[in-house]
Amino acid sequence: MRRAMLLSGLALAAAWPLPARAQRADSLPVASRLRTIAIDERMVSDLGLRLGDTLEVAAAPGVAGDRVIVGAVTRRTADPSEIARAEYRVRLHLDQLQRLTGADDRVDRFAVAVPEPLVDSALRSINARAFGFRAHRSADVAATSSRTFAVVSRFNRAIGVITIVASAIFLLCIMLLKVEERRRDVAALRLMGISRRTVNRAVVLEASGIALLGSGAGVAFGYASSFVINWYYRGVYRTPLAFSIVTPGTVAFSVALSLVLGIGAGALAAYRLTGQPPLSLFGR
Amino acid sequence: MRAALARASLQRHPLRTTLAVLGVAVSAAMLLDMVMLSTGMQVSFRALLVRQGFELRLTPKGTLPFDTEARIAGASAAESVLRTLPGVTDISPVLGSTLHILRGEGAVAVFALGIRPAVQGDYALEAGHDASAADAVVANSAFLERTGYQVGDTISVAAGYDAQLRTYTGRRRVVLAGRARFLYLASAQAAAAVPLKTLQAMLGGADADRVSLLMLRTRPGIDVEALRASIERAIPRTTAIATADAVRSVEERLSYFRQLALILGTISLLVGFLLVTTLVTVSVQERLGELAVMRAIGVSRAHIAQQVMLEGLVISVLGTGLGLGLGLVTADYLNQILRAFPGLPAAIDFFVFEAQAAYRSLALLVATAVLAGGFPAWRAASLPIAATLRTEAVS
Amino acid sequence: MTNAAPPLLRARNLARDYPFAGESVHAVRDVTLEIKEGEYCAIVGPSGCGKSSLLNLLGAIDRPTRGTVEIRGRDVSGMREREATSFRLHNIGFVFQRFYLMPMLSARENIELPMAEAGMPRRERRERAQSLLAYVGLGARVNHRPSQLSGGEQQRVAIARALANRPALLLADEPTGELDLHTGREMIALFEQLNADGTTIVVVTHDEALAGAARRVIHMVDGRIVSDVANEHPPQGQSSP
Repeated sequence: MRRAMLLSGLALAAAWPLPARAQRADSLPVASRLRTIAIDERMVSDLGLRLGDTLEVAAAPGVAGDRVIVGAVTRRTADPSEIARAEYRVRLHLDQLQRLTGADDRVDRFAVAVPEPLVDSALRSINARAFGFRAHRSADVAATSSRTFAVVSRFNRAIGVITIVASAIFLLCIMLLKVEERRRDVAALRLMGISRRTVNRAVVLEASGIALLGSGAGVAFGYASSFVINWYYRGVYRTPLAFSIVTPGTVAFSVALSLVLGIGAGALAAYRLTGQPPLSLFGR
Repeated sequence: MRAALARASLQRHPLRTTLAVLGVAVSAAMLLDMVMLSTGMQVSFRALLVRQGFELRLTPKGTLPFDTEARIAGASAAESVLRTLPGVTDISPVLGSTLHILRGEGAVAVFALGIRPAVQGDYALEAGHDASAADAVVANSAFLERTGYQVGDTISVAAGYDAQLRTYTGRRRVVLAGRARFLYLASAQAAAAVPLKTLQAMLGGADADRVSLLMLRTRPGIDVEALRASIERAIPRTTAIATADAVRSVEERLSYFRQLALILGTISLLVGFLLVTTLVTVSVQERLGELAVMRAIGVSRAHIAQQVMLEGLVISVLGTGLGLGLGLVTADYLNQILRAFPGLPAAIDFFVFEAQAAYRSLALLVATAVLAGGFPAWRAASLPIAATLRTEAVS
Repeated sequence: MTNAAPPLLRARNLARDYPFAGESVHAVRDVTLEIKEGEYCAIVGPSGCGKSSLLNLLGAIDRPTRGTVEIRGRDVSGMREREATSFRLHNIGFVFQRFYLMPMLSARENIELPMAEAGMPRRERRERAQSLLAYVGLGARVNHRPSQLSGGEQQRVAIARALANRPALLLADEPTGELDLHTGREMIALFEQLNADGTTIVVVTHDEALAGAARRVIHMVDGRIVSDVANEHPPQGQSSP
């Protein structure tokens, strides 16, 4: 209906739950005759299964199935669409799965490897000849199955905008306060004969230094947070998917924004102060 | 006089005060949104599940409703067993599949539900009649838009599409009896409902006695958990899900949002705290002489501390009030973004305003901001009078 | 001194030391002093001689390292902070060199401040504030902010504030320090008027004219009182005690 089965005999354990009856390999009289399957690493940790264990797989509970040996343990792929899926996955040989499920000579899809320059022509060629199915680029399929995360991305971006607005206000307020704390210093300099331009430059330079240092600290914090986020959510969802990636572009944008905001706020505060008569800064 | 002094102090630097209020407002808005997000899904989803009065849902073992393509075989027998259980008042079987609406050489695929109209809980009829007759169908607005049909039209439908042979099983003509709003489907998803027997017959084969889901109404006061356990014992190939369990399951899958809400909510409180404490600290620092003189002329420490903390209170109350309105607006915007989740039922909201939780969180922000004035207030009240006057005179 | 009435203020063996760079600075050394009701005293001396420190001790703003200060028989030097604050509020008025008015309050509100702290009802304190402003010659400047007043006018408001709760003692630290000559003279006349009306005044000053207007001049050098004499040349119209 809505979900596609995976290729090469990968079966959904939720649809075909495995009544797992494990036996030690060294107790099997005909172990060498049995076919192997690959199981999800979660089954190892949750069900205590191991390589070499013998299991019985069937299409429905209570129905006789095939005895198989666990020949491999597979790790989940970094597929966003699998994030919240709790079901286990096993891999069987295609013909065995077809026989067990009564699918005969049917599969859900083929994955076709084609050299990149030939992808478009291969797509056209297959679609022209195919009877009853269509070929798609893997990237297009991924995009469709990642629509959920596109929404999450949009949401996070909106949150990011709100956070930036809040940070800008906060930064402006703090810079204003900090520069105004120096009103008497500014007044003294002005009374001494130092020009507005020089004073402004000095204040802006100071603001730039603070903004630069703050940006550096922020980038370091961002990397650390990203690491913690990935470590935590990979553990929760048991996936190798990267939940947070700090890219050069992200760093560049963040640093640029914080510099603009910090220096801008400092400049605004400085110009406000130096625009006032020096004596008034002394409260006279 | 304390209030007058606090007000006058804030009015002394209007730009600074305005920025601080705005900063607190944004923090309050963010905090409110996060509170709404942390409880919204749960509240919204629970309301959806109990809306039609079905307390229990039976699915193929280990799955959630329509989470996979698995079906419950021997549905009739399962239903018979369920009717023998005390506490079960109504049973609504549901079969999900794809129907193809045939138009000339082409077809439009829509999601279809096989239901029993008398007890169904999947849609609310908006116009026309229910799908009571064997050859009747009700559809939603998205269906009508995509197919171009109207209520009253007779249409050709088919199930069991074989992509290779391009053939269907179970082709038949049905009458579009009514328009309905499907409660558990996305509004943009074209959907239709036909009588269960009709759909099962169209699918044929093994699906003739299969359903995707059985929804149960129970007698008021019944121990739902005990009933759930007895159902799973009686029909071991199914999983019985109570509303609370379903809500919990969905929450686990969307725990990301709850955690995000917690983190951003905490950061909002921290930002509000830092903003107020910085502002009040600088404000105190600027008028040490005035504060020392007030102490000298006999104003008590407590009153000075109260005056300073009052400044923090005013900023936080004004900011929080503004933030409440801002938060509701941004929550609506963010909710619209998240409602674009593919397949999300139209009735689900991520951001739900619950007055008690909202006001409690905003009160927490106000209290935090007031506390933020605590240290500068203490400092102002503890000034050594003589030394401060001397320092201020020299400077 | 032959007057039998107990002194308003009695200071005995007062000393105040400040730690500075690992050493102790003796700002006030062994000062013993009595001030009677209605007196007008000036404390003079070179900069750094301890005049302001002594004034702070007398006004219970600061605590002595040694010695005692009694005002109306009460030992203010040993009072706890809260008690001392309350005592200052009801018994002592302060005037500072830099006025220290609240810039965001009007002249009237500045004067009302100590009265509000003392719990005086609003109407009563408003009336008293206005009458005090009239007394110091600023009856028409009730609602003016300090920034709208001249230096002399601000100091007058500060004096009115100091008189708000009818204190027994008015202490002034360089009250003419930031005023021009002419305005300073006006301030001196005001102090004379206050004393003539019964206010006990102790003023710390470098201003010779202000010191000359006082009836008693106390000289300090290096933290000690070196002379304490009646003013031999009081201003016209006033008799010596």
